[in-house]
This record gives sequence, C-alpha cells and structure tokens, in this order.
Amino acid sequence: MNADYQYLVAKIQCALAEDPRVNMQDIKIMVIQNRVHLMGEVMSEDRRTAAGDVVSAVAPGIEVRNELRILDVSLPAEPEVIID
Amino acid sequence: MIRVAAVGDVHFSESPDLKLGDYWAQLHEQADLFLLAGDLTTHGGADQARALASQLSRVRVPVFAVLGNHDYHEDRNELICKILEDAGVTMLEGRSATIVVNDETIGVAGTQGFGGGFAGACGSAFGEPEMKAFIHHTEHLAATLEKSLSDLQSDFRVALLHYSPVKDTIAGERLEIYPFLGSYLLAEAIDRSGADLVIHGHAHHGQEKGVTARGIPVRNVAFPMLRRPYAVYDLERVHTARAEHRSDSRLVPA
Repeated sequence: MNADYQYLVAKIQCALAEDPRVNMQDIKIMVIQNRVHLMGEVMSEDRRTAAGDVVSAVAPGIEVRNELRILDVSLPAEPEVIID
Repeated sequence: MIRVAAVGDVHFSESPDLKLGDYWAQLHEQADLFLLAGDLTTHGGADQARALASQLSRVRVPVFAVLGNHDYHEDRNELICKILEDAGVTMLEGRSATIVVNDETIGVAGTQGFGGGFAGACGSAFGEPEMKAFIHHTEHLAATLEKSLSDLQSDFRVALLHYSPVKDTIAGERLEIYPFLGSYLLAEAIDRSGADLVIHGHAHHGQEKGVTARGIPVRNVAFPMLRRPYAVYDLERVHTARAEHRSDSRLVPA
C-alpha cells in the first residue's frame, strides 16, 4: 500500500466512525487500485447503504465495492452454567 | 439458581429494532434479569435511546445497564440514562443494585470502564496531562467498581462493564487497538473484591469466554460477536458456605 492509499484508508475509517448515519469503527477497508472495498457486518440495510455513500463523499470518483453484510441474528444458545 | 441474560453493543438507531424486541419479549422464559453492557445507541442520540426504551418496555424481568463509548458521543449521557430509567432500566454507573430471585439474591455492580491496555503493554499515568487524565479516569472507575462489588452482600455478585477487563475476550481484535478496548485495572479491582461473573461488551470481534487472573469467569456479550439477541448464564451455588468460596468460582459446561 503506498502512502496515498494509507492516508485514504485512514480518512475513510474516520469518516465511517464519525458520520452519524454509520458510526462504525470496525468496517474493514481495502483500497485496490482505484477501488475501495468495504467488508464486515452492519446492523441494517440503511447503515450499509450509508457506509457506501460516506465513502463516495470522502473519495469522489473512486469506485466503491460495498461488500458489507447485514448482521444475522439467530436464536439464543443453550444457557451456560456457572457454578460458584 | 439465578439465570442472567446479557447483551451489549446493540447500537440502536432512531428506528426501533423490532426483531431484537421480539426476542427480548420472550426473555423471561430463559432468564431472571437482563444486563445491557453498553453501546446501547449508535451515537448517543435521545431518539435512539427512546427507540431502545420502546423495545425494553417489552422485557418482563428487571433490566440493568451501563453506557458505552457510543452513548457518550453527543454528550447527552445523562439524558440517555434518564430516558432508560423512565423506561424502568436501572443504570449502574459507579453503583450497584440487588434483587431477590426466589430465595436467593443477586447483586450487579456496574461501570462503563475505560481503556489503558493490559499487563505488559499498558499505559501509565506518566507524561502529558492528557495521558495522565486518561489513566486516572480508568483508575477512578476501577476503584468505584471495586467498592460497589465489595459492598454487595448478595448470594451472587456480577460485575457489568462495557470495556473489557481481560485480554482473553478481545482476542480476535487487532493488537494495535487493545489499549482502547479495556484495562487490566478493571480485572485487578474485580479480583480484589471478588465476583461470580463479569459481563462486558465493546469487542465486536473478540471471543465470548475469558477469565481473570484469579479465575473469575468473564463473558464478552457484544451483539455482533454473539450473533444472538442475548446470552444466558445460569449461576448455581454448590457450596453452602458461599462466602468462603467466592474466589473459587469455576466454570462447568452446560
């Protein structure tokens, strides 16, 4: 990763953390040539879309591959027993 | 036996998460109390807290909570607490509460906690005022937690935090951010006062299970890591002379 890419990743990371539509600090960001890949899981479709919009605003003209997935919720597991 | 349900990092937006609320409405079938381990909202918005409160109103067991770092972002943490308290949630920053379940009592002592890192790679109150303030803040919260836990006279004692007290449960996160995920000072306080279970969130990519240096079970219940609406821990007592064995807590698989 060259210097420009490193700064771009940091800039996107901060924007995703600070934008009130997203506020996520654990989205994985990869910059490959002129593409930004977003990876990980988010709570809702709205937040997934917003994350892509934030990147487009921060880095106009760059291609955004929004690979974020919506967090899947399953039923609670069996209780764990903790004995004192 | 007392059944504890817990989850953290639900990050509610202004739109209530009805799916989580549906699960929580049935929680009383599995648990006697419900603990929320911080990061309850996306960025500490009042409407986000109201959205959460609307779903917590469906829970039929006592609910206890601490805030997380996201809940402080708009500097409206007191309002967030009030909204949740008005909905029946007991907020536990720097204090504890005890309830009776059947013929046993359980006390929950809470603090959000803070960062600083872990033994061998931790910050210290040295250097710039900002660095000293950072570590002093964690020290202060750890001290309040220790006192709250020590004062509890209940059959079972649980520590509720947002930040992690141990490295075990943040394994999977990037090493570079460990100092922002928790502090050994919290574990040291818990080990000094004793507890039967420690609950925390914050580490979305961590592990569920860990243990303090003195063997107290630690559970990370961050929702993105759990992938369940809540985890359930059944606290059982095998010794009648409970107080003599508090520091000998051990974990037995279900």
